[in-house]
Amino acid sequence: MNALEARSIQFYYDKTQIIDNISMSLSRGEFLGIIGPNGAGKSTMLRLLCGILRPKQGEIQLFGKNLHEQSQRTIAQNIAFVPQETHFALNFSVEDVVLMGRYPYKRPFQPEDQKDHTAVEHAMNAANVEQFRNRPINSLSSGERQRVVIARALAQAPRILLLDEPTSHLDLHHQHTIMELLERLNNEGISIAVVHHDLNLASLYCKNLILIHAGKIYAEGKPAGLLNKKMVREVYGIEVTILSHPEKNVPQIFL
Amino acid sequence: MTKTIAIIIIFLIAIALGILVGPTRLDSEILQLRLSRVVLGIFAGGILAFCGCLLQGLFGNPLVEPYTLGSASGAALGASLGIFLFGAISPILAFLGSLGVGFFVYTIARIEGGLLRDRLILAGVVMSFLCSSLVMIIMVLGGRELYEILYLLMGYLGIIINATNRVMIIALIAISIGLVAFLYRYHRELDIISQGTETAAGLGIDIQKFSLVVFFSSALLVGLTVSIVGAIGFVGLIIPHVSKLLFGPKHIRNLGTSFLLGATFLLFADTLSRVITVYELPVGVVTSLVGVPFFIYLYKR
Repeated sequence: MNALEARSIQFYYDKTQIIDNISMSLSRGEFLGIIGPNGAGKSTMLRLLCGILRPKQGEIQLFGKNLHEQSQRTIAQNIAFVPQETHFALNFSVEDVVLMGRYPYKRPFQPEDQKDHTAVEHAMNAANVEQFRNRPINSLSSGERQRVVIARALAQAPRILLLDEPTSHLDLHHQHTIMELLERLNNEGISIAVVHHDLNLASLYCKNLILIHAGKIYAEGKPAGLLNKKMVREVYGIEVTILSHPEKNVPQIFL
Repeated sequence: MTKTIAIIIIFLIAIALGILVGPTRLDSEILQLRLSRVVLGIFAGGILAFCGCLLQGLFGNPLVEPYTLGSASGAALGASLGIFLFGAISPILAFLGSLGVGFFVYTIARIEGGLLRDRLILAGVVMSFLCSSLVMIIMVLGGRELYEILYLLMGYLGIIINATNRVMIIALIAISIGLVAFLYRYHRELDIISQGTETAAGLGIDIQKFSLVVFFSSALLVGLTVSIVGAIGFVGLIIPHVSKLLFGPKHIRNLGTSFLLGATFLLFADTLSRVITVYELPVGVVTSLVGVPFFIYLYKR
């Protein structure tokens, strides 16, 4: 049984087709990269997979059960979503932000208990943000903030983590730390799907890739087979050089 | 903790001043009048600030409040219509006015998959103008009720509680307090939604249901409040900001402290409105005098 499985998904706004008959799955323990050019439908697909958007046609299954027959709360106990960039209109402390990850487990008026605090400690520890615990969230750099958002996602104790371009505004150091963190979480058993537009980063870290182009799946498979000159020419319309990474032995693209 | 005690003390001072300060000497009749004013002040100020806190949280816009959203003006229109048609305050018409204008503004600001938050204020202001013109027509047609409606437009705590309206006012206050207690359950949702609707949906909040409940309930609260004391502006705008400055961003505190600070502010404003000139001013005049500069400050920031 797959962690997530999408069958013949159609999605459109008004008459603009965004997702055109996509079937895909995220198997257990997978580290999947969803790649493709701007406007291909990658982010939309991610939102469909976690139930923020509802497909117009098709079905999504979460561990074998129809996603849309489950409450949003139950979904949030299984899937955590990390948006591209979070704007914090209110300046909560880092610990408060991470604690919000416990929302799906709380009833109205039910105070946080030991279990919540244990989960929060564990999450802050995993994402390496404990040292910021009392800092106001807006005093952190964007890379540090992204780690806090991931910690909040981990506090949900999810089995699946979906991330939308988690490194897109970050410098080299933070790109590295975030991707290493995701790799570690994946090794601990969390299934991960991450939308990337940085093909080299996706190639370095993802076990498998799905390439979405114009709302359809163009190709899927291991980075080594998928990233080639012909694909880049057809999808991105440019000529590139592709070499193998000297240490990790995965393809890297040079402009 | 000390801050909480401090605002409770200031609140008690506001009550004391509300009872003691005024142009006439205190006798038992005046005492009764002043007491009813203080009760109305606590109730109206508290609810308006509470609604401001709710709406600012829901829409993630620091300039939103019942007045800038147009729902207070809608309520005033409904209440004026009630005075014109039945010669008495009409909570149901006020509620319908508040809800109707609220929904209209909401629809204007709504786009697919979201809400244009700047357009919310713009639509609110435009609808306020429309409501004002309609109220003017009612005033011209009404003639005799003109004075009553004028005070309704600016807000006035000095309405005389008598045998005919006492039951209704008590019922309205009870309903309002019940609703406030009910809405407190959403403090976590309000915290989370400040980080965007996608984050909120990802954490398991049913955005549509949550928005509707909060929006509908605050329209009801505003409608009830306006039908009793009129459209008092800017309490709902200023107070949540002051509360967040004092107590931080968490709504579990802010909903309560906004209520308390709103009550305090309106009591002070009402006391001031009784002593500032020889004649009593509508309390909304005083709150606007304080509120408008504050609004400009927020907008410019």
